[in-house]
Amino acid sequence: MYDLVIRNGKVVDGTGAPAYDADIAVKGNRIVKIGKVTEGAREEVDATGKVVSPGFIDPHTHFDAQLLWDGCAKPALAHGVTTIVPGNCSLSLAPLKAKHRMKLVGMFNQIEEMPLKAFKEGVVWDWETFSEYITRIRKGLAINVAPLVGHSVIRLWVMNEAATERTATDAEIAEMQGVLRECLDAGAAGLSTSYVDMDEKLLPVPSRYADAREVEALASVLGEYGRVLQIVPEFYDSDLTIARLDQLAELSLKYNIPTTFSPLFMNADNVDAVNRVMARVDEQFARGARVWPQVQTRPIDISFSFSVPSLLFMRFPSWYRIMRFGTPEEIIAFFSDADNRKKLIPEVAPLQGLWPTLVLRHVETDANQKYVGKTLKEIAELRNTTPIEAMMDLSVEEGLEAHFLSAGMGHNDDAKVAGLLNHPHVHIGASDGGAHILSFSTYGDTGYLFSHFVRDLNLMTVELAVKKITSDTAAIWGIPDRGLLKEGMIADIAVFDLSTIARGEEKFVNDVPGDGHRYVRDSHGVDTVIVGGGIAWSEAEGYQDVRGEVLPGVREMAAA
Amino acid sequence: MPVAQLSRVRKSILPLIEDDWSSIANRELPDLSEKDGVSSLQSWNLHVYMRAAARMGTGSNDILPSDVIFIEPPLAHG
Repeated sequence: MYDLVIRNGKVVDGTGAPAYDADIAVKGNRIVKIGKVTEGAREEVDATGKVVSPGFIDPHTHFDAQLLWDGCAKPALAHGVTTIVPGNCSLSLAPLKAKHRMKLVGMFNQIEEMPLKAFKEGVVWDWETFSEYITRIRKGLAINVAPLVGHSVIRLWVMNEAATERTATDAEIAEMQGVLRECLDAGAAGLSTSYVDMDEKLLPVPSRYADAREVEALASVLGEYGRVLQIVPEFYDSDLTIARLDQLAELSLKYNIPTTFSPLFMNADNVDAVNRVMARVDEQFARGARVWPQVQTRPIDISFSFSVPSLLFMRFPSWYRIMRFGTPEEIIAFFSDADNRKKLIPEVAPLQGLWPTLVLRHVETDANQKYVGKTLKEIAELRNTTPIEAMMDLSVEEGLEAHFLSAGMGHNDDAKVAGLLNHPHVHIGASDGGAHILSFSTYGDTGYLFSHFVRDLNLMTVELAVKKITSDTAAIWGIPDRGLLKEGMIADIAVFDLSTIARGEEKFVNDVPGDGHRYVRDSHGVDTVIVGGGIAWSEAEGYQDVRGEVLPGVREMAAA
Repeated sequence: MPVAQLSRVRKSILPLIEDDWSSIANRELPDLSEKDGVSSLQSWNLHVYMRAAARMGTGSNDILPSDVIFIEPPLAHG
């Protein structure tokens, strides 16, 4: 008698090999048989007509906070994601001294657009060390977590306020190495750092005050464990990106570590630049370096309201500063003032072609519901004004709760994006899961991969798509015993219908602590998601078993 | 692939401790006067130089310890 059998599925095993028909039997948390299974099981899943694959691994997320109130990382798990990597971009929630909590919350708010209220009302701060944080999130964990530790946070821990003032001394660097070792011993999957992000005061984050010898010293510690270095390069400029990937390549070769950088977008105006970056990636791989660019599957869509500072306005100081630092009352007063508007409108002239195309997607008042779904061009015509004035008027009338959508802003040339996704040195990821929750949904990228690039456009095989988000990812991240459907492997499994899988419509929901909202997408076509041999989610029953683990686990596992 | 066989990319450095425009100009562009060297560096590194203009820098030294600093102009891409 098995614990679980998945019958009659089309097995796409994660190796890239052609799909084949088979049953899969599970005992405990391991796959024990693949083939014709005649014995019964305590639980059975009928996968007739469906694909059975390893569970998906999402290597770039910011679920650090959400895991404190939601061990499923909803709705990622329901999309077939069985392992997530939080702690990217130099930011993790540990190690963190009590006196630095609000500083870190400010950085998460600024960089990842996590609401302050969610931290205030959703987080009980009962940890300081990385080990204590891991203990904390293990309770009720339904999804596997391979957490990175953030460089900015380690710097804060060791240098306190000086972390954002100067380079570290030799003694401080040695202390940071010790802290990193403690984190890796406690189960961290690697280290993340950032060369672009700004803190809550719009000043560089702590990691940007690190010189090359500090980064190298930390990379040397990663080398002791064979763990990953993730960075955010200056992705807006290809020469800078290439300089960074060369820096990563040297560290990868010297310390024998995998490295990854994200994001890498393919836009209409940077095709040659991305091709240059990828040519350099190929050259560095030919040298033996491991420098994995992460590429997301979804196009860039951004939603925004004036109530939170949006990425869209980052280049326009007058707009961004009031949204970043103003109270709601101050923001409303600012945009109501006719003199201010005279200065504001020319500042955003570079986006003048954008405003008419924006779609109003959400308002609070009954009076303005009639405009929802219309473009600002259409609304402006109805209100006898200009699109940009209409945007400001609606924002003021709605107490800043007018939400606009700018769709298809980039990364939406299917053939070119598919070329990247198929590239052997591209790491599919960069979902940003759990972050930017008021700008776009960071869930369902795997559904989009299968529905759009595999099924609808036929630009990628299902076997390669599965391989890239399962066994390739496990191999890059040193996650043992997962990412393949093979006897003896841990049973992290996704069962989905390739003819119906999709990322779902983006919707605005009210499920964030502190009465907060976020954009999400419900999974479509995913039937069952198994983590550690237990059914963690099914379309029929919803969220169920809680068998998530912290990966790759304690040090002896990484050394094995 | 040996490092010598890597294709040519734009030359850059990572700053040494206490580096500023002048010290980098004197070290990396010795054939230029300090003034011309600094001016050239600033024009090739607008990602750093303009950060100060946007009031997002860090006091008197525009350069962060982690910055990539280009020591030549952009290459022509055919």
